[in-house]
Amino acid sequence: MLNRAEKRIEEAILYAQVTEQQRNDEIEILSFPIAVMMASATNDPFLKRRYALAEAKRAYNLLKQEDKEKIQQVAATFNWRIKSAKTAGFAVYFTDFLRNATGFHETKWKLVNRTLVKGEVYLTRDEASRLLEEEVRGHIERKLQTKIEFELPQNVANGVERLKKLFESRKGKMRVEEMPKEIVLDAFPPCIRQLHNIIRSGRHISHVGRFALTSFLINSGMTVDNVVDLFRSLSDFNERLTRYQVEHIAGGRGSRTKYVPPRCDTLRTHGVCTGMDEICRRTRHPLSYYRRKLRIMKTAPTETQP
Amino acid sequence: MIKIETQIFIQEKFAEYYRQSSESVEPPPSLEKREFAFLLLKEKVMLRHKGFKNSDDLRNMLRNVMPAHVYYSTAYYEKPEEEMDAKGWLGADLFFDIDADHISTPCNKQHDTWSCNNCGKTGRGAPPETCPTCGGQKFDDQSWSCEVCLESAKEETMKLIDLLTRDFGLSYGEMNIAFSGHRGYHLHVENQTVQKLDQGARKEIVDYIVGIGLEPKFHEMGIGRGPSLEDVGWKGRIARGTYEFLLNATARQLDEIGLKRNVVNTLINQRERILESWKGAGPWRTKGVGQEGWKKIVQKAIENQSVKIDTVVTTDIHRLIRLTNTLHGKTGLKKTHVPTGDIERFDPLKSALAFREGTVKLLALESPEFRLGDERYGPYKNEEIELPTAAAMFLLCKGAAQVREEKPRV
Repeated sequence: MLNRAEKRIEEAILYAQVTEQQRNDEIEILSFPIAVMMASATNDPFLKRRYALAEAKRAYNLLKQEDKEKIQQVAATFNWRIKSAKTAGFAVYFTDFLRNATGFHETKWKLVNRTLVKGEVYLTRDEASRLLEEEVRGHIERKLQTKIEFELPQNVANGVERLKKLFESRKGKMRVEEMPKEIVLDAFPPCIRQLHNIIRSGRHISHVGRFALTSFLINSGMTVDNVVDLFRSLSDFNERLTRYQVEHIAGGRGSRTKYVPPRCDTLRTHGVCTGMDEICRRTRHPLSYYRRKLRIMKTAPTETQP
Repeated sequence: MIKIETQIFIQEKFAEYYRQSSESVEPPPSLEKREFAFLLLKEKVMLRHKGFKNSDDLRNMLRNVMPAHVYYSTAYYEKPEEEMDAKGWLGADLFFDIDADHISTPCNKQHDTWSCNNCGKTGRGAPPETCPTCGGQKFDDQSWSCEVCLESAKEETMKLIDLLTRDFGLSYGEMNIAFSGHRGYHLHVENQTVQKLDQGARKEIVDYIVGIGLEPKFHEMGIGRGPSLEDVGWKGRIARGTYEFLLNATARQLDEIGLKRNVVNTLINQRERILESWKGAGPWRTKGVGQEGWKKIVQKAIENQSVKIDTVVTTDIHRLIRLTNTLHGKTGLKKTHVPTGDIERFDPLKSALAFREGTVKLLALESPEFRLGDERYGPYKNEEIELPTAAAMFLLCKGAAQVREEKPRV
C-alpha cells in the first residue's frame, strides 16, 4: 500500500499522470490518502501541484469510461447542480461551470460560446468529465495544503525524501526563463506598444490601460523612475501621485504585492486589446508574448537589407 | 467655481433631506459585513472603511456628516473597517452598471458641454481627446441627464433583464434595479450562488453579456446555415439580431458595415423574401450573399443584441456603489428603486425627485431645456428665475445656477 502511494507520486513526477492500476481496489483506494499525506509532507508547492494535476487526469480517464449516472453522482458529491439532458449530455448550473472552466483556454469553453438556458450550460459527456477533472484538481490541491503536524513513520519519511530528490533532479530540466536586462521595445505585444505610443505622445489612456502598461513595464524590468518619467508628458501629470501609484504596482507599498499585467482575454474584455498578430494567437498573456518574441528575435538573424 | 452662498445652500438642503428622510434609507442585507463610504459635501473628502452594526447607526451617520454621495460595498467582509488587505473578503454581489456615458445615444450628447482647463475653449458633446485650440487635455465637463439618454439606458437595462432571466435563469425577485440618480441604472443580484464567483468567473459573465469573444460557429453558424428565431441563448439572439437589422437597414447602414454594393442591393431588393424565409430554414442560403457578407451582418447583429454595461464595474469584486434613497451630489436626485416588472413605465425624472416643496430664486447661468416631474424648464442664459426646489437643486448641483433667495414652503 505504501509502495503504491509512493508510486502514485513518482508517476506524477515522471509522466505527469497516475496510471489506472485497478488490480486491487483496496490498495488503490487506501493508497490515495497516504499519497496525499506524502505529497503534503514534501512541502514543495510545485510538486504538490503536479501531483494534484496527475491524479485529476487519472480521474478524468476513469470518468470517461463511466456511464452518465456515475458521472452525475460524482458531480453531485462536489455539490454541482447537474441534470441529465435529453441530448447525449448534461445541463450544469452556470456557477459550477464557471468555477472550473475559466482556466481553460480553448474558445469553446468561454461561456459566451456555450448554449446557456435558464442558468444551465449544456455539456457533452466528455466535457462534463473534463470539467470534473478540474474540480478534482482543485479539491486535491486544497487537501495538499494541510500541514503535516506529526512526525511521519520512518519508512514514510524515507519515501518522502526519495520523492523530493527525484523531483529536484527532474526540475533542473524545466527551463527557467529570464528577462533581459534591457527593455526591448520591438518585442512588445501590439496592445502595450499602442499604449506606450499614446502615453509618449501625451494623450490619455483608460485606467485599465494605465495599469496594464505600468505593470507590464515594471515586470519587464523598467525602473520606477523610468516609468514615472514616461507619464511626465501628460498635461495633468502629478509626480507625487504617479510615483505612489507606480510604486504600488511595483510592490513597494501597502500590500507589498507586485502586480502582473492582466491576461489577454481580460484586456479584450476592457477594450485594451488592439487586435491580434501571429504571436498573440499563440499566447494568452502580454508577458509571455514578450518572452516569446524575444526568443524569436534572438534566434532569427535580422534580415539584411538589399 | 460654485459661490459660497450657493454651496452653503446645497449643504443645508442635503442636511434637511437626511434629517427628514433618513428613515427611507433601507440598509443593504448583511449590513454589518459591508464597507461604507461618504464623500463629504463641505470638506470634499472621502470617508472610507466605515462599518455599521445596525440601521440606526447608519442613519445617524447620514444625519450628521452631510454627504454629497453615500456608497457601500457590493462585497461582504469579515472586518469592513480594516484596511483593504485586512478586511477578509467573504464574497460579493453581482452588480451591473448601465450608464448613458457608455452608450451612443440618438441625442449624441449635444446637451453636454466641456471647457478646456488650459485655454478656456468650450464645446458641445463629449470632450475631445485634445483641445482643438491649444492641444490641452484636461477638461471640465458638464453632463446632463437628458430624457433621450435616460431612455437609452433604460432600454439597455431591459435587454439586460431579458438576458439574465432567459439565459442565466434569474428571477425578477433576485434582481434589484435602481435609477442611479444621474444618467443610468444599476442592476444588483444578491443571491447566494453568485456571491462566491471570482473575478475570472465575473469576467466570463461580462463577456457573455457584451458578446466579447463570441464565435458564431459555436452557435449554428456555418456555410449556408444559421440559427433560427426561436432558438435559445446566443443562437436565438444572433437570429433575432439579424432579423431586426435586415428588417429596417437602409442601404447606407448596410454599406457602413462593409458589405459590397451587390450584396447591399440583394438585401434591399429581396427584403420581403428574406423576411419570409425566417418561417423556414432562414435567409442563410440567399443567393448573392456569401460567407463574408453573413459574417459582417452577424457581427452587427451581435453588437445590437449585446448589452452596453460598464465592464470594469462588474468584474470589480471590491466595488463601492451608491446606496438606494440617498442623494446624488451632481443632480440632487435620489437613487431610486425600480420595480423590475414595471421598468417600462418607470419615469426617473418623476420618481427620483427628493425635494418636493417650496421654490427658490436663482440666477440661472446656462442650461439646456430639461424636464423634471411634469414640468419643462429652460433653456436659460443668465436670467433671474424662481423655480420649484427640485429643479433649482438640479441646476445648483450642476453648477449651472447661483442661489438668490429661498421662499419658505407654502
